[in-house]
Amino acid sequence: MVDYSLKKFAQLIFTVFGVVTLVFFTLRFIPGDAASAMAGDTISGEALELLREQMGLNAPLWSQYLAYLHGLVTFDFGVTITTQLPVADLILRAMPVTLSIAVLTIVLTVTLAIPLGTLAALMAHRGQNGLDNAITGTAMVLDLMPSFWTALVFLLIFSLTLGWFPASGTISFDSPVDYLKRIALPVLVLSVTQLATMARITRTAVLEVLSEDYVRTARAMGWSEMRVLFRHALKNAALPIVTVIGLSFGNLLNGTVIVEFIFTIPGIGNLLINGINSRDYQMVQTLIVFYALLFIVINFATDIIYRALDPRVKF
Amino acid sequence: MPMFTRRQFSASLAATALLPVLANAQSGEQKTLNIRFYDDPAGFDPANIFRVENENIAFNIYSGLTSYDSQTGEIVPDLAASWETEDNVTWVFRLREGVMFQKGYGEMTADDVIFSFERIMDPATASPYASQLAGIVRLEAPDPYTVVIELDAPNGNFLHTVANYHQGQILSRRAVADLDGQVRWNPIGTGPYYLEHIDVNSEIVLKRHEDYFRGPAPIETLHFRIIKDESTATIALRNGEVDLVMRSNREENLQTLQAAGFRMNMVESYGIVLKVMNLEFEPFSDKRVRHAIAHAIDYDAICNAIAPSLTEATPSILPRWMPIFSEDIPKYPYDPDRARALLAEAGYGSGLSFSHLGTSAQGVTEIQQFEIDFLSQVGISMTMDLVDTPTFNQRRNAGEFEMATRLLPAINPDMILFNYLHPDNMSPGGLNGARYDNPEVTELLVAARSEVDSDAAFKLYERAQQIVMDDLPYLPGYSNNVFWPGKTSVTGVQPNYLGQVNFFQVDISAS
Repeated sequence: MVDYSLKKFAQLIFTVFGVVTLVFFTLRFIPGDAASAMAGDTISGEALELLREQMGLNAPLWSQYLAYLHGLVTFDFGVTITTQLPVADLILRAMPVTLSIAVLTIVLTVTLAIPLGTLAALMAHRGQNGLDNAITGTAMVLDLMPSFWTALVFLLIFSLTLGWFPASGTISFDSPVDYLKRIALPVLVLSVTQLATMARITRTAVLEVLSEDYVRTARAMGWSEMRVLFRHALKNAALPIVTVIGLSFGNLLNGTVIVEFIFTIPGIGNLLINGINSRDYQMVQTLIVFYALLFIVINFATDIIYRALDPRVKF
Repeated sequence: MPMFTRRQFSASLAATALLPVLANAQSGEQKTLNIRFYDDPAGFDPANIFRVENENIAFNIYSGLTSYDSQTGEIVPDLAASWETEDNVTWVFRLREGVMFQKGYGEMTADDVIFSFERIMDPATASPYASQLAGIVRLEAPDPYTVVIELDAPNGNFLHTVANYHQGQILSRRAVADLDGQVRWNPIGTGPYYLEHIDVNSEIVLKRHEDYFRGPAPIETLHFRIIKDESTATIALRNGEVDLVMRSNREENLQTLQAAGFRMNMVESYGIVLKVMNLEFEPFSDKRVRHAIAHAIDYDAICNAIAPSLTEATPSILPRWMPIFSEDIPKYPYDPDRARALLAEAGYGSGLSFSHLGTSAQGVTEIQQFEIDFLSQVGISMTMDLVDTPTFNQRRNAGEFEMATRLLPAINPDMILFNYLHPDNMSPGGLNGARYDNPEVTELLVAARSEVDSDAAFKLYERAQQIVMDDLPYLPGYSNNVFWPGKTSVTGVQPNYLGQVNFFQVDISAS
């Protein structure tokens, strides 16, 4: 285990270095820079040159790269180019919002998707295709709805017509109830998009297990259907489901970008979009490193859970 | 003994908790206005401020020597109570006495004015607005309430240069020294509101400056909430989460809000959208081709079809409300036959094609689709060259295009006339992207600047407009209207010709 962790850690350093370098150079190969993005419509070329100088964009590339690496190693992420605010502060403040949305979405999705998927599998296994088709059909429709569209429809229904949730407003952890009301719609929208995939994977996995010999044996031993389902079928179907949960957590970090825009959530997706649009190299570079680290942590956690679920998995 | 049920108990608790809030709302002393803000703020240092949403915050924090009347766009006194000049070269400004800076930084004097201008002019500040003040050769304060400015050449539009906008905004020398030059997030001015709190990712809170020289503003707190999506902003207003929407710019939302009875505060002709024709591109070097393009596109029809509230066809490169605007200029009514004849005359009877630079973010706009269609009817093929926004800005600044669009939000006519028509400002260095150079026009513009008599200056400007609209290096398309829809209880919202609202005039009525 310790050996495994050390090896993973070495890999991690290498991966992060690769990501950092790649991001640094790709960002700068995109035409346009922070100065021209910021100045927009009404600036002359001469004034733009002044602005570029002021933003430090005229320094040679290699010296910018070395300064960046030095910053990373010393945990000094610098200030954003456009706002001159400390990048690390901005990210640390935005992170809890995005993470809480992602975690709640996973919880809600898992709570809904696993029973639904299992039910569909059970029905399919028994040859009762009506309910199975209804569930898989609905999942497919939900899967195909783009999240920006779902978000607007949900806003119209739950915010404007029913008045259950606000469309905008301050995000603060001071009042948990207000906080939950504020992030309810983003969580619902993201859950809808994740639900479909997870329910389908659950259905396939459980259905496969249900036709295994050991399930038949369990049934033959006279165990109740429930016990067969939970003790044998679901437990053995858990591996692909855990994989999908891990993957969808990653997807969610991307998915929040759109819902954060529509629901005006000040999360890291918002920072990323803004950073890219304004060519704020400093912000995007740091965020990408952060994303990379998060993915590595998620993968690591998935590995650990694999091992807990299935003793045959060896590190 | 009477007992509270649990429900009664919590109801009475809630009622007690509500009492002080109601009392405050009734006395009207704690008025708060919730305003939609549409992008992440980028800071409020006059030396490097950009984009109208940031400028609007700065407009309410700072003052200039002069300012603009929201309704008419005319220059009005601000920190300067009066001014005089005999030759448009030497300007004497008499300052108001007893004007106080925010956050206890004391009285504003001539020294602060000189400091603010010198800060912009200092190359170390690297302000893109330094060129606006480049003509200043002498800056003096004979006493604490007088500022004398001498220019290297006459400039009849100098009062625009020192208005409450960009380089004209006055900072406190002491505050800037205390803040070690970090003005961007610590703006301190003499305006009606000061910055109390900011979270660049979600909100900006302005508080009333109690010592404002015109007296305290009616509303105590301005709470700007960042809502980027237009549909969300519309729903937030309908839900009552905000009271006022800064710049609603989608036709369908405007119609929904109007039908729902909201107050549609607006200003007409903010910024003109121009087609820049690169005169070095072969077909555009022929004036007949430029005229043909003008005759080929029916902007009246386009505006009415797409966004009748938001756009209006416009005949000139200057907006109608400018005092120097002249109606007596060559015009190009929709006339496809005339366009075809002009093209044939110029040797393009069999057609011609060019590319139009645009952003992939915007794609091919509905208006551009109409333009393409109108042009194809006279045998001109316009294709869109779509690139990402920073590349677009870079190429447009460098003059690397055949045709491009420019939005001209300007209140100072020189911002349009000098920047776009003077050969000194040709791209890549300047904004003259057509690379237009007509010595007669240049001479007229310079002469008009030194003319002290406004009628005589008007004649010179009129002649320049006539020549330019005949040469047609820029094709005026349409002008934009800016809307700030709000609740009917919110009064006094009048966006000025820079698209900004002066919140000193805004109030919330009892209803």
